[in-house]
Amino acid sequence: MISFENVTKSYRGSILALRECSVRVEKGEFVFIVGPSGSGKTTFIRLLLREETPDSGQIWLAGREVTQLAPWKVPYLRRNIGCVFQDFRLLPNKTVAENVSFALEVIGRPKHVVTTQVHQALDLVGLGKKQSRLPHELSGGEQQRVAVARAFVNRPLVLLADEPTGNLDPKTSLGIMRLLDRINRTGTTVMVATHDASMVDAMRRRVIELEHGELVRDQARGVYGYST
Amino acid sequence: MTMSMEYAAREAAGNLWRNRLMTITAILTVAVSLSLLGATMIMRQAVAGVTVNWGKGVNIIVFMHSNASGGQLQAVHQQLASMPQVSHCYYVDHQASFTEMKQMFSSQPDVYQQAGLTASEVPTSYRCSLSNPKDAQVVASTFQNQPGVRSIYDPIQQANTIKNISGIIQLVFVIIAVILLLSAAVLILNTIRLAIFARRREVAVMKLVGATNWFIRIPFMLEGLSQGIIGAIVATGVVFGMQAALGYLVHHTHSALLRSLVPPQHDVVTTVIVVFLVGMVVGALGSLIAIRRFLEV
Repeated sequence: MISFENVTKSYRGSILALRECSVRVEKGEFVFIVGPSGSGKTTFIRLLLREETPDSGQIWLAGREVTQLAPWKVPYLRRNIGCVFQDFRLLPNKTVAENVSFALEVIGRPKHVVTTQVHQALDLVGLGKKQSRLPHELSGGEQQRVAVARAFVNRPLVLLADEPTGNLDPKTSLGIMRLLDRINRTGTTVMVATHDASMVDAMRRRVIELEHGELVRDQARGVYGYST
Repeated sequence: MTMSMEYAAREAAGNLWRNRLMTITAILTVAVSLSLLGATMIMRQAVAGVTVNWGKGVNIIVFMHSNASGGQLQAVHQQLASMPQVSHCYYVDHQASFTEMKQMFSSQPDVYQQAGLTASEVPTSYRCSLSNPKDAQVVASTFQNQPGVRSIYDPIQQANTIKNISGIIQLVFVIIAVILLLSAAVLILNTIRLAIFARRREVAVMKLVGATNWFIRIPFMLEGLSQGIIGAIVATGVVFGMQAALGYLVHHTHSALLRSLVPPQHDVVTTVIVVFLVGMVVGALGSLIAIRRFLEV
C-alpha cells in the first residue's frame, strides 16, 4: 500500500530530515510513527502528500510513484489520503456539517452523495446531533472528531494523523484514538505521527521510530520507548 | 459539473461583496479608462468620415469682397473657367448669400439683425466643383492675393485641420486610457490578493482534500473577470451616451462640419465590442497575476 524506498530529504541543503528511509506499510495496517520533535515525522507525512519532493528515493502509494506524479495529478493523489492535524484546521465560519461537506463539494461530488456521506461520517464520529454547531461552540475533542469526519468522509485509502492528540487531554485523546481504531477496522490504513507515549503504549500497534531522520526501530506490537 | 460552476459563481460573488470598496474602486477605474478608449474610437470614426457638404459636389468656394467691382468679378470668373482643374462653377449673388446666411442663423437672428446687415454687405461667392478634389489647394493658392477676393474656403483643408486637432486629442486620450488601464489591472490584482488572503484557510483545506488547481483558481479568476466586465458595461453606457449627445449636437446645429460627424451605428457596435474585450483582458490579466503570485496550488 505505502512504500518508502531509500528516501532522503533535506531542507535548505543542510538539515537532513530523512536519511535513506525505507518502510513498507500494508493495506489495513495501523502504524504509529514516533520520535522526538524534528525527527522527521512531519516530513514523512508531507512527502506522502506530495507537499514536498524527496532529494532521492521512491515513494509508492497504491501502486503509484508519488514523486514522479505530474503536478496536475497531485489533487487526485490527495483524494486517496485523509488528513488530521494537531490544530484541527476547521473553517470557523462553517457549521460542522458544512465543514465536512466542503471536503466533498470541492472535489465535485454530486449533492445527494454529499448529503448521505456527510451524515454517515458524522454518525461515525458521534456528532450527528451537533451538525449545525459552529466549531467554536465545540470542545477540542469534538472539533478533532469533526476533522476526522472530514478526513474520512471521502473514504480514503489512507488516513494520516499528525499529532492528532497534541492539543487534547488524555481522556479525550483516548476517545480520538478509539475513533481512529474504528476507522482502521473498516479497512482503512491509518498512520499516526505522535509523541504521546501513553497512547502508543495503550494501543499496542506497529511502531516506527525515527531519530534525526533515520529509521531506528520498526516493531510489530510496540510501545513508545524501548521496551526491555 | 454544474455544481462546481454554481460554487465558483457563489464564491466570486461573495468575494466581490466582501471587498466591495476595493471592488467599486477597481470597477470605476476600468469604466473610466474604457470610456476614454470608447470616446477615442468614436472620435476617430467620426472624424474619418468628415467630408464637408457645402452643397453637392462643391470642393472650393471663392468668397469675394461685398464691394468687389464688376471687373474683379469678371476676372475671377474667367480665370476659374479657364483652369483645367475646375470642372464647374456657379455664382451666388448678394441676395442668395443673404438668404443662405439667414437660414444658417435662423435660430439666432440677432447675429445679423443687430449688426444691421443688408444684402449688399454680404460677400458673394463662386462655388466650384473640381474634377479632382485634391487640386483644391492649387486652385486656392491662385486666388489667394487676387484683387476683390476676400477669402477662399477649402473644405478639405478644414477637414484636415479638424483631423489634426482630433488626432492630438485622441493621442492624449489613448495615453491616459492606457495609464488608467494599467492602474485598473493593479487595482484588480490587489482585490484578488485580498480575497486570496481572506480565504487562505479554505484554500488550504481545498488543497488538502484534493480539489483541483482550477477548481481553486476559477472563483478568483471569475472575480477579476467580472470586475472588468462590469466596468465595460458602465463604459458601454457612457459610449452610447456620447453617441446620443453627438447625435443631438448634429441635429441641433447648422454647422456643416459637425453634421458630417455622425458615426454610423455599426461603428458603435465595434466600439462596444472592443471596450468589452479590453475590459475582459484587463480583468483576466489582473487576476492571473494575482493568482500566480499569491495563490500557491
